[in-house]
Amino acid sequence: MKKNVLLLPLLYISLFGYAQEVKDIDSTAIFLLDKMANVIGDLEAVSFDLENSTDKLDANKNIVKHYANSTISFSGPDKLSIRTEGTKGRSGFYYDGSYMSYYNYDENNYITLEAPESTLEMIDEMHTDYDFQFPAADFFYPTFTDDMMEQFTSIKFLGKKIIDDEECYHIMATNKDLNVQIWVSNKTFLLPKRFVIIYKNKSNLQVESTFSNWLLNPNIPDAVFDFLAPPNARLISILKKS
Amino acid sequence: MTTYTFNIKHKLGILFVFLALVFPSDLLAQRMGHGGSRGGGRSASRPSASRAKPSTSRAKPSASRSSSSKRSINGGSKATKSRNFSKPKASTKRAATKPNASRKKTTTKRGNSTTGKNRKTSNVKNKKTNKVGNNNKVGNKTRVGNTNVNINVDKSRNTNIRNTRNTRVRGSSRNYNRAPYRYGGRGYYCHRPYFYHPYTPFYYGSYYHPWGYFVTTLATTAIIVAIVSDNDDDKNEEEYHYEEGTYYVKTADGFEAVQAPVGAQVPSIPKEAEKVEVNETNNYYYGGAFYEKNAEGYIVVPATAGTIVPNLPEGGEEVKIGDQTYVQFGETYYQPIEVDGKSMYEIVEIKEE
Repeated sequence: MKKNVLLLPLLYISLFGYAQEVKDIDSTAIFLLDKMANVIGDLEAVSFDLENSTDKLDANKNIVKHYANSTISFSGPDKLSIRTEGTKGRSGFYYDGSYMSYYNYDENNYITLEAPESTLEMIDEMHTDYDFQFPAADFFYPTFTDDMMEQFTSIKFLGKKIIDDEECYHIMATNKDLNVQIWVSNKTFLLPKRFVIIYKNKSNLQVESTFSNWLLNPNIPDAVFDFLAPPNARLISILKKS
Repeated sequence: MTTYTFNIKHKLGILFVFLALVFPSDLLAQRMGHGGSRGGGRSASRPSASRAKPSTSRAKPSASRSSSSKRSINGGSKATKSRNFSKPKASTKRAATKPNASRKKTTTKRGNSTTGKNRKTSNVKNKKTNKVGNNNKVGNKTRVGNTNVNINVDKSRNTNIRNTRNTRVRGSSRNYNRAPYRYGGRGYYCHRPYFYHPYTPFYYGSYYHPWGYFVTTLATTAIIVAIVSDNDDDKNEEEYHYEEGTYYVKTADGFEAVQAPVGAQVPSIPKEAEKVEVNETNNYYYGGAFYEKNAEGYIVVPATAGTIVPNLPEGGEEVKIGDQTYVQFGETYYQPIEVDGKSMYEIVEIKEE
């Protein structure tokens, strides 16, 4: 009996250990993701359009779709601007390395906050503290492929597909809760074309984004990232999430 | 023949005039071009200045792919995990070239002094400080227009505790058919949909003063008000002075306007007071305070969730809560709504979820 008591945890440990180790990861998929991450990592500045659709559950658990079109520009490690127009209204997001400002065009009010030194830290902080959403931000983390490998139990290359007349490599990553599909464009540069996130544990809610109009290393003036409040706009307060 | 020479002279003359006119304009065009290029030069010089920032800020290791003069948008792609698939060659190469510490994030925050800029920033609120009403800076930045009633207001005085107690919201007796707006573990319940309109404080006349307004003396018409309280713990030790809809407490130097204390019994309220419907009974509303009529006059009652008010006084603060913007007075949140085409506010019921 004593032996059993000792053996049982050992058996569990070995089983769990084994379960964690077994990951169905495709080397082609990782090669493609690495290549894409390297291209993004070598950019000094970038600008692109993002077409985004997000599912939300309403009070009666029905799926409600929200759409938004954004123009996003990164410059260096500490500049970001996002212009968004969608079903939730129009907004502008500006980060100049010291401050971040969010301007609501419909309400003509804005918030300005001191921000961390780098774009990615700023994105993290704004998301954690104030629930700001940055669709597609994952692609801009330097450890993108590693994060994917860590988070997903299976990453597979599903072959070449055509999207908007562009040949794309279709990759699917899954774990218990998520199904993520990425289409990486094979047109000149390996850059993301589209991605879909399916929340398996939340009524299969989907987030879908399509990239277009990639401009690589554009020379964007720094002034673009400085927010100047329109004369009648009001600076308002903001409530932290927790 | 003469006509011919005349023609030649004439033509030469025209040519001369033409050249004289053309060359300066050409020069001018060049100058303009130069002027344009000056702008270009400026724009060209700016990135180079920004590029000249010390490269130490980059966490990028020397072994990474791009040259050191570049400033990548994310510090360059990093791969630390072993790519140990069927191609061991590639994976060992990657593992060798990439540093191990790359996943560690630095969370250094920039201090105010190092930024060099001094920009006005938003007042950041969090749930904890909100609960005890520790908002000394109420409405410092939200005053646009309406400057005539904003003289002599010192918001730094510690009037929070009193105001907090008197701005607590009673729950609505009606059920909410509308799903709440959820943010940060709280539900913001309202009967009517959110309809944004900018917060423009209503001018309640010369007698009305917002919280924190300071006067050295009160008019002789001011009265000391009695506080009717059921709860012994909630005893008001302060002495409140009342004058035409505004309440004051005595301080060392004079009198300071405060939120109407709940339970205050006053003989009359200003004629500008409006009737509002609260839980299917009528209350009177004036300058952010709610009154119930009784035999001796009017008594101040707490704000009740679901009450719709047409105007808000000065002293509120617009707060962005997720995607929505509310007006906050102490612990009372007002949601902008629209009723029959008119901009109004509904008192929000906040529930922890």
